[in-house]
Amino acid sequence: MRPFPSESAAAQGLACCHVCYELAPVSLESCPRCGSGLHLRIPDSLQRTVALLLTSSLLYIPANVLPIMTTSQLGSDIESTILGGVILLIDMGSYPIAAIIFVASVLVPIGKLLTLYWLCWSVARRHTTSHHQRTVLYRITEFIGRWSMVDVFVVTVLVALIHLGGIMTITPGLASIAFGGVVVVTMLAAESFDPRLIWDQLGDEDE
Amino acid sequence: MATETDRAACIECDLVLSLPSLQPGENATCPRCGHVISACRKDGISRSLALAISALVLLALANSFPFMALEAQGLEKVMTLPRTAVELHEEGYAVLAVLVLGVIVFVPGLILLTVVALCVPILRRHPAPWLVSGGRLLFLLGPWSMAEVFIIGVIVSLVKIVHLAHVEVGLAFWSYASFVVCFTATLASLDRLTLWREIERLKP
Repeated sequence: MRPFPSESAAAQGLACCHVCYELAPVSLESCPRCGSGLHLRIPDSLQRTVALLLTSSLLYIPANVLPIMTTSQLGSDIESTILGGVILLIDMGSYPIAAIIFVASVLVPIGKLLTLYWLCWSVARRHTTSHHQRTVLYRITEFIGRWSMVDVFVVTVLVALIHLGGIMTITPGLASIAFGGVVVVTMLAAESFDPRLIWDQLGDEDE
Repeated sequence: MATETDRAACIECDLVLSLPSLQPGENATCPRCGHVISACRKDGISRSLALAISALVLLALANSFPFMALEAQGLEKVMTLPRTAVELHEEGYAVLAVLVLGVIVFVPGLILLTVVALCVPILRRHPAPWLVSGGRLLFLLGPWSMAEVFIIGVIVSLVKIVHLAHVEVGLAFWSYASFVVCFTATLASLDRLTLWREIERLKP
C-alpha cells in the first residue's frame, strides 16, 4: 500500500471516526467514544461508489423513458414523461417552474453522476492538482442530491389531489419509482465516496 | 488529558489539527480544505431541544389536518399526508408510498425524537443508556430527511393545478411549512462535536 501524506492522521495510524469525529488509533478497530467501526479510509470506497453510480445510471434510463404519471380526463389517457412535463410547463408559460423541474430532474442528476464519475477517475488516476476545487465539487454534489426528489413529490401530490372520478384522475407511472431509485442510489454513492482520497495524492509531486 | 481531546483530524481531508476551545458564535474550519469541523452556538443543546419539541408538535398537526383541497365541477377532493400514502398503496405503488412518507414524515420525526431523547439527559446531567446509540442513529438518519424539498414539490404542484380547479391550502400545509423551519433550525443549532463531547461526559 502507498504511504499516506505525512500531515495526514492516517500516516500516524490514527483514524477519524465517521460518526463522532473522535481521533483514535485505527488498531482499536472500533471507536472508543461511539463504538462505530474505525477505518483509515472508507473500505473499498472507489469500487462501491462506481458500482452505485452504474446502478443509478441504469435506473436513469427507465426514469426518463417510462411515463412518470398518467392523466385520465373524460375517458382519454395522456401519459407524460419527465421531459414531457417540462415541455408542457413551457407551453403553459410557467417558465420558472419549468426551470425548477428541469434543473432538479435533469441537470442535477446528470451533473451529479458525471461529477462523481470524474472524481472517482481523478482519484484512481492519482491526479495531484486542484485538491481544493475537487473537495468543493464533492461538497456541492453531496448537498444538492436530495433536491432531485422534487419531481417525485410533485407526482405524489398530484396523485393524491387530482382524483375526481371520470372528470380527471392522475395515476403514478413506473418512472416515479425508477427516479426515486436514481436519487436514493446516487445519494448512497456520494456517501460511499471518501473525499480524503483526493488529498492522499498530496505528497506525490515530491517523488 | 485536555490536549488529548483537542487533537482532531479533518473528516474531509484527514489533516491532523488541534482544535481551539470555541466561544459561542465561532466556527472551527479546516485550514487546508475549509471544512467546518465544529460550530459553537450559544445554548446550542437547549435551543435544539426547544426547537425539536415545537417541530414535533407542528409535524403532528401537519398529519392530522387537511393538507390541501381541490374543488372542480361540484366534486371535492381533500388531501391529507397519511391518506396520500394509503392512496399510493392502493394504486399499487407501495414502494413510492414508503419512500415518500419515509423521507417527509418518518425520518424527520425520528430525528426529532432522537434529539429530544439526547438533549433531555444532557441538560439534566443524567446518564441514560441510549445516549451512544441515539447519537449514532441521529447522524445515520441525517441525510435522509427531505422535508424542505417536499415544500418545493408542493409549491410546484400548486402552480401546475391552480388553473385547472379551485385549490385551497389547508392548516396542515402551514403546519408543515413551519415544521420545516423549526426542523432546519434544530439541526443548525446542534453541533456534532459538542454533542458527542457531552455524551462522552455522561457515559458510564
